[in-house]
Amino acid sequence: MSAKRGTHEQPYGGPLSDGLSSLVAAAHELKAPLALVRQLSLTLEAGELSPDEKQRMLRQISLTSERALRLTSDLTRSARLEDAMFALEPINPHQLCEDIVHELTPLFVAHGRNVRLMPRKHPLLLVANRDLLRRIIMNFSDNALHYANDDSVVEIQIRALNAGQIIRLGVRDYGPALSTDMWKTLQTKLVVAPQPVHARPQSSGLGLYIASQFADAMNGTIGVIRHHDGATFYVDLHASRQLSWL
Amino acid sequence: MKKYSVLIVEDDAWLAEQQVRVLTKAGYKATISPHPIAAIKAIDTIHPDAIVLDVLLTGSTAFALLHELQSYGDTGSIPVILCTNLAGELSLDDLAPYGVRRILDKTTMLPDDVVAAVRSVL
Repeated sequence: MSAKRGTHEQPYGGPLSDGLSSLVAAAHELKAPLALVRQLSLTLEAGELSPDEKQRMLRQISLTSERALRLTSDLTRSARLEDAMFALEPINPHQLCEDIVHELTPLFVAHGRNVRLMPRKHPLLLVANRDLLRRIIMNFSDNALHYANDDSVVEIQIRALNAGQIIRLGVRDYGPALSTDMWKTLQTKLVVAPQPVHARPQSSGLGLYIASQFADAMNGTIGVIRHHDGATFYVDLHASRQLSWL
Repeated sequence: MKKYSVLIVEDDAWLAEQQVRVLTKAGYKATISPHPIAAIKAIDTIHPDAIVLDVLLTGSTAFALLHELQSYGDTGSIPVILCTNLAGELSLDDLAPYGVRRILDKTTMLPDDVVAAVRSVL
């Protein structure tokens, strides 16, 4: 993989087998949405809010709960990966990403941001499990939503690499860059031992750990590219040869 | 009566909005910075009377900001209230030299606790 000028690219180092770490990370990740839902609920209980404020807070509670539920659902799915059979099939990533953009747009708009799928001229097919791939992109998008600057657009990108043998689905956010020190720490961690990608300091890396497990189950890999104005989290999967038969 | 200014450094936009709501209702002028870099700029502009600071933030942690604040005489005296999910892992005694005057636990606090904390440090 070639790194662009002004960017740094780091593939994910591998799955983490420490169940306790995952459990602690899950608890940590769920604290934030639960704490927010509790604060909003207590404020609603106290009353003295305008109808518009009430409506807005109820919407925030719904959307925050949905994000937390996505994480718990991913955790459950992740824990059952070894037992389950996952059908890999040719998938049109553009169509899948369009569906994801459609589903996530209300959440992004509620946060004053937007999400869009970058257009492509030529159709691509990749080999994946639809459900797992969808979860990975949703996960990256949730991550990007948190780190993107106000009023910015999160972009979902689809690219062909290695003469079309690999298809990369990336989620690009425009937000604060990682400091050089943090990036070095991340690289050291990835080289020394397999660990979740702590690409951003407040993240336990759980979401990325789960995404890496899902990618691994589809013979793919995840990684991150550091930009001067944000980051791209990506999954690389094998291209389907179906189109070449036509 | 002086209207005190409070800077909220919080990267969860909706939680920040919630804190602005309760502080504004209590008569404070509240401003949000989503990360430490924005906070440093905001501190220079609005000269807050108190800072409500999350610990795990985008770009760098609260501790980088605390160090920065302590580097200057004027900012070093601004009282800081940490508002975090990691309250159980932090000690007020350890953080007092960095200007931290209160620690609020996001998982157990009541909405008005942030008002009480701000009032207690001003």
